[in-house]
Amino acid sequence: MDDPRATRLVERALRCYPARWRRRHGDEAAELAALLIRDGASAGSIALSYLAGAVREWLRPRPGRRLSTAACALLIAACSLSVSVVLVASPASARAALTPTRARGAGSSQVRGQAHCRVGAAAPVPGLIRAMGQLPAIIWEAGHDRSC
Amino acid sequence: MRVSGRDDRAGRDVLRRVGEASVLILISLADGPKHGYALIQDIKELADVELGPGTLYGALDRLERLDLIESLPADDRRRPYRITAPGAAALRAHLDSLERVSAAGRLRLRLGGV
Repeated sequence: MDDPRATRLVERALRCYPARWRRRHGDEAAELAALLIRDGASAGSIALSYLAGAVREWLRPRPGRRLSTAACALLIAACSLSVSVVLVASPASARAALTPTRARGAGSSQVRGQAHCRVGAAAPVPGLIRAMGQLPAIIWEAGHDRSC
Repeated sequence: MRVSGRDDRAGRDVLRRVGEASVLILISLADGPKHGYALIQDIKELADVELGPGTLYGALDRLERLDLIESLPADDRRRPYRITAPGAAALRAHLDSLERVSAAGRLRLRLGGV
């Protein structure tokens, strides 16, 4: 490509491709563009064709990308689940739930409270979302507080 | 029909969904290896179709992923591509299928008197 403007235009279009593609085809694509321009093709149409190709290349589904998308979806689902568990297990709502029972009879509510107070009842929650860092501890504490 | 999958290739038309550019590239490579520029020139002469370079590389990548073509060591900055045995079989199956459709179309035109 003798015309520096044409060279720059095509180079810019080629830079839009993923790095992996550029490593594999970058040189030959630039060489092909040079030959086509030498034959009279316009640099603009070549750059446009490469741009469209770059868009297609970025949009092409790849197995690795599909896996990471699934992992992200799983993480988001786990986050929403843990947030709902935290909200449900918050001390304020627990107190609100327990108050009418206590008013009716302390004895029976105590029995019910103890029935929920087993550590085993709260244990599956941290087991489910162990990967979420600090959240399991918060949820366990919240659940424990509510039950007792 | 899935395009990928080695076992699907025997006898079935795996090229039905790869697009016209891919079929033209396979036809062009059928008589010997060519690099990108030679492919564009040959396809223009053969089918009067001007492939853009972006379309060309997209199709080459797709065909390579399907093992229908393979790239040869680059000569200077030009990398030649060659049709593989499964690629030749797939092209044959596709052309056979086109021939059947074409014959049926011609027959119907004759019968319909159009």
